[in-house]
This record gives sequence, C-alpha cells and structure tokens, in this order.
Amino acid sequence: MTPDPEIAVENLGKTFEAPAGLRDMLRGRLFGPPVTALRDVSFTVRPGEIVCVMGPNGAGKSTLVRILGGLLLPSSGRARVAGIDAGAGTSEFRRRVSFVVGDERSFHYRVTGRGNLHYFAALHGLPPAAARRRADALLARVGLGGAADRRYREYSRGMRQRLSIARGLLGDPKVLLLDEPTLGLDPKGARDLRAFLREEIIRGAGRTAIVCSNDPSEARAMADRVLFLEGGGLHAEASPDRIEAELGL
Amino acid sequence: MSASAASLPWFLRVLVAFIRRELTAVGDYRSAFVIRLFGFGLAVCSLLFLSRFVGAAVNPHLAVYHGNYLGFVVIGFLGTEFQQVGVSVLAQRIRMAQVMGTLEAEVATPAPPWMVLGAPPVYEFAISSLRSAAYLLGAKLLLGLDLSRANWTSLVVGVPLIVAAFSGLGLLAAATTMLVRRLNPVAMVIGSLSFFLSGVMYPVTVLPVWLRAVGHLLPLTHALAVLRGALLIGAGPLELRESLLALVLFAGILAPIGAGMFAFALRRARVDGSLSHY
Repeated sequence: MTPDPEIAVENLGKTFEAPAGLRDMLRGRLFGPPVTALRDVSFTVRPGEIVCVMGPNGAGKSTLVRILGGLLLPSSGRARVAGIDAGAGTSEFRRRVSFVVGDERSFHYRVTGRGNLHYFAALHGLPPAAARRRADALLARVGLGGAADRRYREYSRGMRQRLSIARGLLGDPKVLLLDEPTLGLDPKGARDLRAFLREEIIRGAGRTAIVCSNDPSEARAMADRVLFLEGGGLHAEASPDRIEAELGL
Repeated sequence: MSASAASLPWFLRVLVAFIRRELTAVGDYRSAFVIRLFGFGLAVCSLLFLSRFVGAAVNPHLAVYHGNYLGFVVIGFLGTEFQQVGVSVLAQRIRMAQVMGTLEAEVATPAPPWMVLGAPPVYEFAISSLRSAAYLLGAKLLLGLDLSRANWTSLVVGVPLIVAAFSGLGLLAAATTMLVRRLNPVAMVIGSLSFFLSGVMYPVTVLPVWLRAVGHLLPLTHALAVLRGALLIGAGPLELRESLLALVLFAGILAPIGAGMFAFALRRARVDGSLSHY
C-alpha cells in the first residue's frame, strides 16, 4: 500500500494585490494591478522524500514554500503538510513543519548565536534547562559549538545559514522547508552544507524536505526529484540526473 | 486545565527569554543611556521652571491638589509616558520586527502570535513602572515633591486598569500599523489630543466646557485623575469611582475591539505576505 503523501498540494494559486500607487488611488482604487505568483500548482511528496523546487527568480518558489510553511495564505487551492492544512495556522502545524528562513535579518544582530537560539527555544515552549541542552546540542551538530558565544553580527554567511538550520530543528519537525539554504556560500561551504543537510539532518532523521533553489548543482546533490516552476506554474518534473536533458539547465 | 492556563508558564518562559535577550543587547546602547540621562536632567530643569512660573498661573485651579503644581505636572508626564508605552510599544515592535525581518521567523514558531507579541509590552510596562517610581522618588528627594497623602490602595486598583485601557489602544495602534505599514497613526492622533485635552500640563478646568467633554473621551484624562487623586489628594477607590469606572469601560471596549482588529491584521499579513517585508 502506498503511504499517504507527507505533502499534498492541489491546484494552489496565489495572487498578490499590491497597495495602490498615487495614480490608482486618484482613480479610487485601493490596490494596484494584481500580480499572480502561483497558478494551479499540484504535486505530492512522499514521506522521507527530498524534493527540490527550481526555477528562475520570480518563478514563485519562495511563495510556494511560504504557503507550505503556513506563513502565507493561498488565494486558491489547498496544501496539506504533515497531515494538517497549511492555512490552519495552528501551533501543532508549526511544531511539525519547520520553515528554515535563510533571511539574514531573521536573527538579532546584537545577541550571540546561543542567545538567539535560547529565545527561539522559548518560543518552541521548551523549559530553560531543556532549551539550553537542545541549543547546545544543535549548535554542536551544525558546527557552531565553538562560536556559540559570538554575536550574530560577527558570523560569516555560512555560519548564519547553519544557525538558521539549528533554529529550524529546535522543535524536531517532520517536514523541513528550506529556501535557498546555500545562497551566498562559497563552493566548498555550499557542498559541505548540502551533504550535511541531506545525510544528517534530513535522511538521518527520516524527515521530508522541500528545498528551493535555482542552482542545478544543489538539486543534484540533495534531491530525489526536481520540480521546475516558471511564471508561477509547474512547468516540468525530472529526476536530478535528468535536469539537463529534461529541463535544459 | 484550560489551554490558556496551560500556556501561562510557556508565556512566562518567552517573557524571561525576551528580557534576557533585551538585557544582553543593552550594553550596545550606552550612548542611548547617556542621552536618556541627559533628558532626565533636562526634564528636572523643565519641571522646576514649570512649577515656578506656569504653576503660579494655574494655581487657582489647583486647590483640589493643595496647590501642588509640581506633583500635578510630574504625574502628568508619568501618565503620558504610560500612555506612550501602551499605545506605541507593540506597534513599534511590530514595525521594527518587520523591518529587521525577525517577525516572520518568530511567527513561524509554535508559539501563538499573542505570545510572540505580548512579551515586549509586558516588559516595557514593567520598565516604565520602575522608571515612574524612580522619577517620583527623584522628584521627592530633589524637588521636594509632597507625597505624604498618597493612597496606595487606589494606586494598586487604578494602575492595572490604566494599563488595560492603554493596552486596548495599543492593540488598535498595532493593528493599524500592520495594515497601513506606517508607524502608528493612532498613537500620533491619541498622543496629540491627549496632551492638550487630558490635563497633562494644566488642569482640565482651564478648558472651555465643550473641550472638557471631549477630553473625557480620552483614557489619559481618567488615568491622570486616578493617579493624581491617589498620590496627591489621598483619595480612596470609592472617591475615584467615576474615573475608575471610565477606565473599566475603556478597557472593556477597546481591548476586545483591538484584539479583533489585531487578529484581522495578522491574517491580512498572511494574505499579502507582509510578515516578511514592509
């Protein structure tokens, strides 16, 4: 019997209504022309599978993972992740599904890596002693044990990415959503981080993952399957070793 | 155990973690601390000036406060600061978190949004209370402020109501900030109106009757009546019942409306994607 998919996306669409500019407001409109970021996207992901979502800038990758992470509501269609509707916005959903925000601005610059993790551990509901243990273990696991007491602003790009991953694992999620996890890293740093993510963080813990990227080498190194988005629509699907042949990348 | 009771220890953990994080960063704000100290010195000089010159002009209206203009104006400033904290802090924090980019990461955790966003106002009200106590003590020691008649029971009853009323306004202001993505138009309007109509610098009795009536629609007017009544006259809760009741009404009306609007603004942010940009 085929197991239920860990992620099921049906006819997902997202249209943004940008605030009106002066010209639109003078015409009595509150919003500018709508922008379609996703249209009619459907796919499933099996438990334990790693799927890479690729596409050029503006293809809708970040919009898709934000919807799957419950941070953005779709305009149409639905998505179920780890057995819960992504739009529900429940605590239990956010416990099961972790959106690893690669955004450098998502930590407090003046606070140490350890201090930042302690704060987020509290938001995960961990008591202080458990938060300390969990933060220490995760910092060691992502290779930041020696730099835990340095302020975040002193971290290199790679260290910041690793701290984001540690934060994403605080709640021991079933599903990881990674938005461009190696963006801006040097080639060796990117290669090491991909191997670490795939073998230890995802495979080693039996997690399911979606990785957004526009780097074919990332897809080849990490994914079991590649989905290609273009203009907000699901354009093609391929295995990582067939990216060049089928997607022309 | 109800869900809200179960989440109280969780919220306290978030609050403690938040305070630890704030205190860690405090060392980086040494210049801000020096500026604040300078501001405090300036405030003391202003108060001395006001009590000497303005105080004499409004003295006939201060009979009920035993002519104590210094106490009157110190409490006026403290009440204004409480209002400022209540109305502005949540909105400022949200705006800052949107600009810094931390809001999306915080909202992505299992903690409910009220928990994520509730810690900063609680912390700021606590800091503001300590600061107010220090200002009162400073005014007593340095400027000879007479607090000998203070009724502490009225203060214990009144301060939570003042905090609740201002927090309701704060939720409205925060919701507006999230919706319009500009810094707090509600705080600006309320702040300006209150400064002129609530009796911060002068007793409301100097105002025309119709302006006095408008002033009664502002929570700060009643907050100041309670604080001054308790600290300067020694009035008990029964004597202050009209203002206390007004504060209960403000809290009872503004808090649910503010909470509803805030929930709407958060949902709107999940529709337009503004959790992560501004």
